[in-house]
Amino acid sequence: MDSDYFVETKDLTKTYSSGRIKLTALSNVNIYLKKGQFLGITGASGSGKSTLMNLLGGLDKPSSGTIKVQGKFISELDCDELALYRRYQVGMIFQSFNLVSSYTALENVAFPLLFADVPKKERMKRAAEILNMVGLHERKDHRPAELSGGEQQRVAIARALINHPKILLADEPTGNLDSKTSRQITQILADLNKNQGLTVVMISHEESLLAEYADDIVHLCDGKIAEQETNS
Amino acid sequence: MRFSDYIEQSFSNLRKKKLRTFLTTFGVVIGIGALVCMFAFGKGMQKNMTEGFNKLELFNYLGVFQRSENNKSNESTQDPNSQNEADRRKRLLDDDFIIELTKIEGVEWAFPEIRFLAMIRYQEEEEFSLIQVLPARICQSGIVNFRAGTYYTSDEEYSLIISDSLLHRMDIKKPEEAIGKKIEVSTLAIDFSLDNIPNILSFLRGQGLPFSRQSYTFTIVGVTERMGMGGPTLIRSGVCIPYGTSKKMKKLPVTSISDLFVSTQQTQGYSAIGIKLTSPKYVEPVRKRMEEMGFNTFSLTDQIEEIKTVFIFMDLFLFAVGMIAIVVASLGIINTMVMSILERYKEIGIMKAVGASNKDVKKIFLFESGVIGFMGGIFGLTLGWIVSVIINVVINSIAVREGAPNMNYFSFPWWLCLGSIAFSVLISLIAGIYPTVRAAKIDPVIALRHD
Repeated sequence: MDSDYFVETKDLTKTYSSGRIKLTALSNVNIYLKKGQFLGITGASGSGKSTLMNLLGGLDKPSSGTIKVQGKFISELDCDELALYRRYQVGMIFQSFNLVSSYTALENVAFPLLFADVPKKERMKRAAEILNMVGLHERKDHRPAELSGGEQQRVAIARALINHPKILLADEPTGNLDSKTSRQITQILADLNKNQGLTVVMISHEESLLAEYADDIVHLCDGKIAEQETNS
Repeated sequence: MRFSDYIEQSFSNLRKKKLRTFLTTFGVVIGIGALVCMFAFGKGMQKNMTEGFNKLELFNYLGVFQRSENNKSNESTQDPNSQNEADRRKRLLDDDFIIELTKIEGVEWAFPEIRFLAMIRYQEEEEFSLIQVLPARICQSGIVNFRAGTYYTSDEEYSLIISDSLLHRMDIKKPEEAIGKKIEVSTLAIDFSLDNIPNILSFLRGQGLPFSRQSYTFTIVGVTERMGMGGPTLIRSGVCIPYGTSKKMKKLPVTSISDLFVSTQQTQGYSAIGIKLTSPKYVEPVRKRMEEMGFNTFSLTDQIEEIKTVFIFMDLFLFAVGMIAIVVASLGIINTMVMSILERYKEIGIMKAVGASNKDVKKIFLFESGVIGFMGGIFGLTLGWIVSVIINVVINSIAVREGAPNMNYFSFPWWLCLGSIAFSVLISLIAGIYPTVRAAKIDPVIALRHD
């Protein structure tokens, strides 16, 4: 095994059982990702994209196979260790933004710091800085319902970045956005990847978008890697 | 997460659902209020009773008795020569002994404990009264404060002193007017003498004891102040008569039925002596000394343990009643927390996605129910206190009309105040366990997909 890889999955399999029926969402997926790489994952709905993302993000545990991130087997961590992994190693972005509706933009961005034992003053200061970076400083006191889709996703990106993660996982971040905003959001991710060396995994069914920004693209089909192409 | 964050989060989350939080907290308030009220009432009763005992100085009282098995040997020590020897072995409860007792550290007064029930008759008025036997020497020693007249000088007189409370019942306005008035005292006695043949015959036929009624006429020589049962002095009856005279009377003592047979044979000494101590702390040393001298003793501190047991049962009963309200309130908390978790299903998913551990999630919700409990405890305590004040006012307005003294029926010791808040928090935390465990078990993948 090549330990140079930043993220490495081996025979990653996830099966769900509902009643007596067993459903294989992901079957023997092997992904190799170098540090600072921008990986695009594409595929039809139900192809296992989100399952793969949840496994990489430590939200779910594989049925079999392993996930290695920075030389550590994520697939073998217990609940508390996974929480720490999600807190400090990963930033996640979702299609439906997943902001807390009762919080302001600033509070949403600061939310992860709550679990990192950061004092309130510093939480708010850091959140304001990052909001500034994604260009939402003036909107910091607005609640998600008062923000546009693109703004909400930028808040979500800011939240994902607040704990200085090593890897950014974006699950259909542009799925709810128009094409112009989609490009803007993807551009932010690409800039973070290029300027800050952040490793990015982005899921999208818009292959053209990935083709424009991603280094590598993995095509998933029925839980298996159908095609892997290098984009350069 | 930091402690201050948990508190802040809890308050801000609860504020978002003001009505629900209010209603749930109100349930706890009523429960804790009821519990506090009942406990305060129980403690108030306990306190009033203990204070009452202290006021009557009943805790300062020590009774000393002859040991009954020694009474027979007393009979054989009539001879003055052998009495000195017997003295070294065992003292008699006589006036000399009483004077000696008063020299012991902590002893305020000592007095013979002889009381009996008799019918007293003044003109047309007749009533039962407890008569206390008070030797002239003790009577002269200054224990008794006279409102009119003075003490009797001899133990053989047919004179008595009465309390001013009796005065009212005799319909005499001024204490001075009572001096020199004649009172008839009638006693009941078991009489096997020849004068009582009809009653003895009925006793032999199994028709009751052979009682006879004897009447004696006394002259009032003194009126004392503050006599009677409630008084702080050692005199605890409305009427006192000299010792020598009382011995001549045929009577049925109330202290013990055995005295009836024993003390008549005993020519010297009293069957019992009461000692009033300056402080309850002298009870044990003096008691020990008396027992070393061969006497039996009695003190109210013996009874205190029993009384305490009764209060423990009362507390338990009140606790059980209050707990019903608490159980209902905690069901309210469980309901609220479960609802809150269902509403915040997605938020819990987000928490986990951004790095909250199961413990963090648990603590967030536990703190919320704890805060409900804390507020419920504080306001419950306040409510309990307000209700107790109202009940106090109502009871007192009725009781004072009936002539009872104005008093506080509730007591709020500090541990009850702190304890009720702590208890409220504890109950709320327990009620929060189930919803909390449910929240921690939520699968973030499902929760994030939830809308």
